[in-house]
Amino acid sequence: MKLTDREQNGVMILEPRGKIMGGPDATLLHDKLYDCIQKGKTKVVIDLSRIEWMNSTGLGILIQSYSTLRNSDGQLKLARVTEKIQSLLTITKLEPVFDAYDSVEDAIASFE
Amino acid sequence: MSAELLRTLCYFLTGGFLIFLAITITRDNFRSRLNRITGGMLFFAGLGPMFMALGSVMTASSVEPGMFENSVIFRLRHIWEFFFPLLLMFSWQFPADRTDRIGHRYLKTAIFFPVVMHIVIVLFFDQLSSALDLFRVGSGAEGLSGIVMQPLSKLFSWPKLLLNVLRGYERTIFAVVNLTFVGAATYFLETGKKQVTNPKILTQTKWVLAGTRVGLGLFVLAELGHLFAPRTFNDTVITSLIVAALLSASALLIFATIRHQFLDVQMVFRQSFVNTITSALLVGIYIITVVQGRNMLASMFGVGADVISYGFIILLLLFFQPINNWIDDFIRSMFMRTRTDHRNVIERFSRQVISVFDPRRLRQIIEETLKTTLLVNRVYFVLYDDEISEYAVLPSDDFDQRIVIDRQDLMLRGINLLDAPTYYHSLSDYAIDSDLATLLEARGVRMVLPMKDADHLLGFVALTEKAAGYRYSSEDFNLLGVLSNQMVSALTNARLYTESLERTRLQEEINMARQIQVDLLPKEPPQLGCSQICAHSTPSRTVGGDFYDFIRIDENRIGIVIADASGKGMPAALMIAQTQAMIRTEINNGTPIDKMLQNINQQMALSSSSEKYVTLFYGELNTVDGSFRYANAGHNWPILVRKEGDVELLKTGGVVIGALPSMEYQSDTVKLNSDDLLVLFTDGLSEAMNEQEVEYGEERLRQIVTKHRHKDAHTVLKTVLDDIRKYDPTSPPRDDTTIVTLKMTNNIGRIDEQQT
Repeated sequence: MKLTDREQNGVMILEPRGKIMGGPDATLLHDKLYDCIQKGKTKVVIDLSRIEWMNSTGLGILIQSYSTLRNSDGQLKLARVTEKIQSLLTITKLEPVFDAYDSVEDAIASFE
Repeated sequence: MSAELLRTLCYFLTGGFLIFLAITITRDNFRSRLNRITGGMLFFAGLGPMFMALGSVMTASSVEPGMFENSVIFRLRHIWEFFFPLLLMFSWQFPADRTDRIGHRYLKTAIFFPVVMHIVIVLFFDQLSSALDLFRVGSGAEGLSGIVMQPLSKLFSWPKLLLNVLRGYERTIFAVVNLTFVGAATYFLETGKKQVTNPKILTQTKWVLAGTRVGLGLFVLAELGHLFAPRTFNDTVITSLIVAALLSASALLIFATIRHQFLDVQMVFRQSFVNTITSALLVGIYIITVVQGRNMLASMFGVGADVISYGFIILLLLFFQPINNWIDDFIRSMFMRTRTDHRNVIERFSRQVISVFDPRRLRQIIEETLKTTLLVNRVYFVLYDDEISEYAVLPSDDFDQRIVIDRQDLMLRGINLLDAPTYYHSLSDYAIDSDLATLLEARGVRMVLPMKDADHLLGFVALTEKAAGYRYSSEDFNLLGVLSNQMVSALTNARLYTESLERTRLQEEINMARQIQVDLLPKEPPQLGCSQICAHSTPSRTVGGDFYDFIRIDENRIGIVIADASGKGMPAALMIAQTQAMIRTEINNGTPIDKMLQNINQQMALSSSSEKYVTLFYGELNTVDGSFRYANAGHNWPILVRKEGDVELLKTGGVVIGALPSMEYQSDTVKLNSDDLLVLFTDGLSEAMNEQEVEYGEERLRQIVTKHRHKDAHTVLKTVLDDIRKYDPTSPPRDDTTIVTLKMTNNIGRIDEQQT
């Protein structure tokens, strides 16, 4: 997994690419989130459009990101969730937990 | 042999030796300022004894006394005092170049002024004196010329006086000046030493300082002795002391050069040094035996002196090589030991790294080797990191954190093309828009040492300038080339070792996890009167955390669990063990299903981190009326196929267990009738993949299950598993694959008594 980040209207947008599979991916994403929280940027959108594949550990990483941010009074929103991840969220009933949006812009707008 | 001759010989040899050193050092690396200064210093130091020797020879061979004292050569002898300002310059240059920071820029020239003055005074005292006297003579004139000349005469009486003083006390005054030079040089060397961090340079500085101090001590002794006890310290003693000072100082300098690599000279230097000593030794023997003893030999053997001379020269030619070798060996054993010779460096390095498998320790050894043998100031490592699949600058004294280098970085690509150690500046074409180049330049990197395994660049070592401004020699390039090859194999070994260690550890853990998982699974499915139950679970190589269980609640009810813990190996195995224990506890307590999942979730969410969770389906079959009450916590929806072929998915429930606290769960009840088929499974089954990486999918599963709904539980299970294995023959499967089939029979209302 590769991770790029940018900021827009005070919202951090993280864009992981490739496969989210755990191990170093978890560390990478978690370190980035920790970094954001340290800088007081607790509104985060994860753009999932470039994720090819995600296993249960990957979903665990997303849940953990969600919890980490919520514990720091922040919020995590998902954008451009792929079909595969969408069905994973449906089965695990995590759909209502994560706010998912069709576009990054919608996700950013939802913070206001 | 007279003492006079011996002394002359001694002067000659000392002077010649120093001048030889001067030429060798300068010639060996003329571009190095330090070498030039040292060379100049030694050259002038050598001139001193040379003049002494010349003086002796001329005095001995002159017919009239005082001829030598009056000669220009004698008057020029003070030229050797250029040694002192050069020593001062040397002390500004070594161990680090501090010339820019010291005084006015003209100071560098000004320090030579006293010596020039000394020479001028000694050489032209009479001329100067009479030139000044011209004006004095004019003071007696009258009239216009008197008016002009009188003040001029007054004006020039001061220089005259000064000149006389300088001439009269010339020796003392310039001795003090020279002592000041030596003192200042010692001071600057001392202060310079404090800034040295490289241990090797520190040793060099210590030896050079020791040399300066010894020289200073002997020099002071000579000059002070002359002041206070002129009788004991006659000219002979003083010159001997000065020669001793020069000799001992330069001996220590040579020691530092050979033993501690002081000065930027190649190893050839040692060879020429050895040759000189050999020649000097042989010439010495020749002079003593042939020149001194030829008359004696002639009288003894009755042969002409010439024959002895030729014979001796032939003997010399024969013995030069063995004696040379012998001295070479001697010097090697005395000075070289195993330290500085590059062959020894390589041997020592490979001996050290062969047993080191810790990459960090390995890098330490490499860094130490480069710093001590090549005197490199700083060493940076840029290595490929398998974990993140990127190149990164590793943390060192200058960087707290590792810095990841973009794979597309132009400089990185440039270095990738290299095969041998290369000067950084020759890579300037690749520096455009390169973050890596910016980083390396900011750290003053001079040399890049690529480490390639076959064609793969493992990384590279970046070296800054050497300490004390030494250059990288061609020997260094050879050494670095060999070292980099050794580093490649050492780093590869370390990586393989770590990997195999990790693999062993992981394998043990996986075996344990598999054992736990196997132990948790029921050995046999329960025999129910109303239905058949079949279950099968194939663990993947890494053990995924799948789990199923059948729990008898009471006479009429049986609980069915299927679960899948996130992650793999031991953590997943422990999580399902925990889940199973909690389910059994809650069932014993008679907790309703929805509340049961809520409790389990709460406990799990609080006891483990949120990235770990379990998808879980729990259902209770009432064997009397066929009702099936269930709750689904984020698990793959079980497929209920009615006898007629209608498909229902058992979705009701809530979020996965253990991820988030305070979650609510719902439960639902379905009525199972005769010939209905219920299929529970984990994602390892539905996510089986074919060669095109297309998933088997739940839709395909529903179709096959529907198609075979009339068959018994065991046949359905086997058919599904066969179909999946055909679709994805990977063995063992990529993920744990678990399936439970339940087929209702006609006998609703009875549980087989033999059971659990």
